[in-house]
Amino acid sequence: MNISPKRKRRYIRFLIIGGVMFFLLCACAITTVRVGQWIIDSLFGNEPGVDRDGQTVIFTWPSNSAELTVAVSADMSEMLVERARVFNASNHRTPDGQQMRVELVTMPPQKMVERALQQPNFQALAPDSSLWLGRIDQRWAALYPPEEGGFAASRVGQSIRYAVSPIVIAAWADTARQLGWPQQAIGWQQIQAKATEDANFKWNHPSTANAVGMLATLSEFYAGAGITRGLTEEIATRPTVLEYVRDVEATVRFYGEGGEIMQRLQDEGRDFLDVFVTQEQTVIAWNQAGNRREQLVALYPKEGTLWADHPLALLELDGRTGPALTNNQRRTYQAFTKFLLDDESQLALLQAGYRPADLTIDLKAGNSPFVNNNAVDAQQPQRVLQIPSASVVDVVLNVWRYTKRPTNVYLVVDTSGSMEGRKLRRTKTALHSFVAQIQGDQDKIGLVEFGSGVKHLEPLQSMDRDGRSQLLQVIESMEARGYTALVDAVRSAYMDLQSMADTAAINAIVVMTDGRENDSHFELRDLQAAMDEAQVPVVIFTIAFGQDADERLLQDIARLGGGQFRRADETDIEELYRIISTYF
Amino acid sequence: MNRTRLLFVVIISSAVLVIVGTLAWRMLTDTPGDAGLTIARPESLTIRVLTALPVEPWIRAAADDFNAGTHTVDGVPIEVEIIAMDGLTALGKWGRNDFGALPADVRPDDLSTEERAALNDFPTAWIPDSRYLVELANASYKERLGRDVFLTDGQYRARPAAVSLFIWGFYNSRGQALQKSLGDISWSTIHDAAIAPAGWPELGGDPSWGFFKLAIPDPRKNVGGLATMIAAAGEYYDRTDISVEDVTNPEFQTWLAELMGAATDLSGGSAYTAEDFALFGYTAGDGGQFLESDLLQNLQGILTRWEEPPIILYPRFVTWFDFPFSVWVGPETSALEKNAALAFQRFLLNETQQHQALAFGLRPANPTVPVNATEDSLFVRWQEQGVQDVVPRTTAMRSPNRDVLLALLRWYELNVAQ
Repeated sequence: MNISPKRKRRYIRFLIIGGVMFFLLCACAITTVRVGQWIIDSLFGNEPGVDRDGQTVIFTWPSNSAELTVAVSADMSEMLVERARVFNASNHRTPDGQQMRVELVTMPPQKMVERALQQPNFQALAPDSSLWLGRIDQRWAALYPPEEGGFAASRVGQSIRYAVSPIVIAAWADTARQLGWPQQAIGWQQIQAKATEDANFKWNHPSTANAVGMLATLSEFYAGAGITRGLTEEIATRPTVLEYVRDVEATVRFYGEGGEIMQRLQDEGRDFLDVFVTQEQTVIAWNQAGNRREQLVALYPKEGTLWADHPLALLELDGRTGPALTNNQRRTYQAFTKFLLDDESQLALLQAGYRPADLTIDLKAGNSPFVNNNAVDAQQPQRVLQIPSASVVDVVLNVWRYTKRPTNVYLVVDTSGSMEGRKLRRTKTALHSFVAQIQGDQDKIGLVEFGSGVKHLEPLQSMDRDGRSQLLQVIESMEARGYTALVDAVRSAYMDLQSMADTAAINAIVVMTDGRENDSHFELRDLQAAMDEAQVPVVIFTIAFGQDADERLLQDIARLGGGQFRRADETDIEELYRIISTYF
Repeated sequence: MNRTRLLFVVIISSAVLVIVGTLAWRMLTDTPGDAGLTIARPESLTIRVLTALPVEPWIRAAADDFNAGTHTVDGVPIEVEIIAMDGLTALGKWGRNDFGALPADVRPDDLSTEERAALNDFPTAWIPDSRYLVELANASYKERLGRDVFLTDGQYRARPAAVSLFIWGFYNSRGQALQKSLGDISWSTIHDAAIAPAGWPELGGDPSWGFFKLAIPDPRKNVGGLATMIAAAGEYYDRTDISVEDVTNPEFQTWLAELMGAATDLSGGSAYTAEDFALFGYTAGDGGQFLESDLLQNLQGILTRWEEPPIILYPRFVTWFDFPFSVWVGPETSALEKNAALAFQRFLLNETQQHQALAFGLRPANPTVPVNATEDSLFVRWQEQGVQDVVPRTTAMRSPNRDVLLALLRWYELNVAQ
């Protein structure tokens, strides 16, 4: 078989050209797919973890990812963000050369528990107390029971504590003296008795979404039952206990969280609250700030308290409900925990008012904030309030929803033309979250949609199944068009609350706008006049959504309504609504 | 070219094509080198050692020393990676095969690249709290694979790395009041204190102390919790061998429930009971049973934070933890890795590292090293608190079987945790 050299060369040329063509075709195909995907994402603004409707989608990460996302509770968020910044700047590397990074997402501990059981967008969590870790494992074991004769799997893996702080009753120094401090120990019962007997006594505790609120609520059940341990489901549901808890809860001003409370204390001082339940660290941090009108003291409840023990725990994501934890993420966790326990981090925590986990650090030496500080006592607490079993805690949480002070809240929502598109989609998601947070059957929510005037007023309705469903339908049907009749909308909600005259409930309005008032019949002074004549106190929270909102007007409305003004953008509007929902 | 030559060229060309094709395929599919005719020697070797929590600080410090040295196996540098894990948690993972051990009829050579890569993280060795956990893991794998995965004899046998035992530790004020009121501290006197209706005022203590609070490890987080319950059962029955029938005896369960009623539940309680005792002070307990090494490591912290020196007492029925260094002998790890693990095991047992163990409150496994061998030995430092070089005459509890452990754990889940 003879092939001529000329033919041979032709064959070789043909093969080379064919190979090159094939390679180019493959390259073109890959490029087309990649570019197409990029164009689609750019056009529709897809963001990681959120789909085009603002709903949560599956989170994923590369199998060698060294980026560790940590869910952190709001009280520690600022501190950990700073620590993570320093850690990330120090350029730690994994053995395969990946840069270790720590990212933080802030969320309430109760939400961490829910997310951890599904497919979380975090691999580690830093709630305020380890009690949440126990709840994750307990619920995980119920979801995935062990085989016969086997051990239950744990969702929570390695865990460290980087700081602790006991939960205390914070009081103004002279209020504490009137209660008997420092000569005698003050207890939960004493505070609760004072609150029910003295109409002018103002106190607060957060919602049960975090450890501080959980303890404060539990203490009411213990006090109502007249015991300090051994709370059972049967005892917690006794009518006398529920009645006591209901009476005490009726005296709670509202259910706010740490940072919000601090801001209002700064603005309003003792006009706002006489005592509140918080971590010892808050008392130290308040007193350390130089511009305080009055000092706070920490009262360690004589019946016992709890610790906010600030764990940092790794989730054992085994691939069952999403991507598995990578070895590099495990290494990042190890490196970050080591970093949090080193001298620099531990001393930074001490200076912020926490008790460091490093036991070699003496709380009463050097420039520790515990030195020469009569407002706190490093030798306290000496008694702990027994946490009942998880099933009893569940009962307590459910019972609390029925016994807490009811809420009437109007959501006043801007759906003018400028809210078109993504802003409105994010707003709807945020409103959904808000409605989901309001769990009490006695709580009522209404909605005022405004654009060119009040477009739609959905009256207050109970958040039972039907009421909730109807409100969510109204939210879904909102459309963006028209101008911005902000003051008219707020006045409508305000007058409706006045007409109800429900003084037993917390009455509130949450106003959100992205623009400037340009279409109302009424003016701010009309609103103020209505407030001056009001019989029912109504708290007004205002939210400036984006850069173009009329902040001055919103601040004025919040000031008149005794509430707060907050800024938000598309990334944090949902979280802001969630935070505000904790007030109710 | 005649026909024979042509045939010869075709055969040679075919052979060359097969070789080139195979090499190209291996390059494309990234088949590991050791799957071929020769075993490629890695540039370095990382072994992963699952380590029980009480010895983790010592083992980690030793691993740092080891890694800083020039340790090799067959000329390959060794790197030791420590993975801290409570013994019971690790046992659960072995039992559920969470680490991904291969079925009996599958060899590593049969695996795909991805499956082989998944084995890269397989633990090379395990240092659990106690030898009985190794036996329980072996029992689990014997059912599945028909063989042991940790050996009890031969070159790769499990060897204790250090030892420690459970002891009583009490805040001085509380311990003295209790002894004055109820006599020598035992599970029986603890039970009496636990059921005192009025709490400390009835026990001769300060009313502000509230009820008597017992600190013991949480069995769901720390295998030491089960060890203390077994020791309590030993004293209750006055014998060292506890059966499932003993654990399920209603009278014993009533007694144990009353005892456990005094156990503090911070709900923030961690796997580190003695550290909790130091960090949370009296709220974590007036006293209780701790692993000796844990308590010794935290004594300074207790003094610094709470300014009251604890007292140490040795119980009559004790449980020992021997922290056996156990090398995985299955095919999931290479011979090189197994030998590297043995090298680290030898390193831990040398006199220098055994001396280091004293600074962590651990009793050396190497019999040539006395507990007071160094100045920084915690046994020297805390003698005034009651720590003893030689454990007084006590009765050691025998290792429980898997059914006893599960019965106790289930009882705890239903009667205490729930």
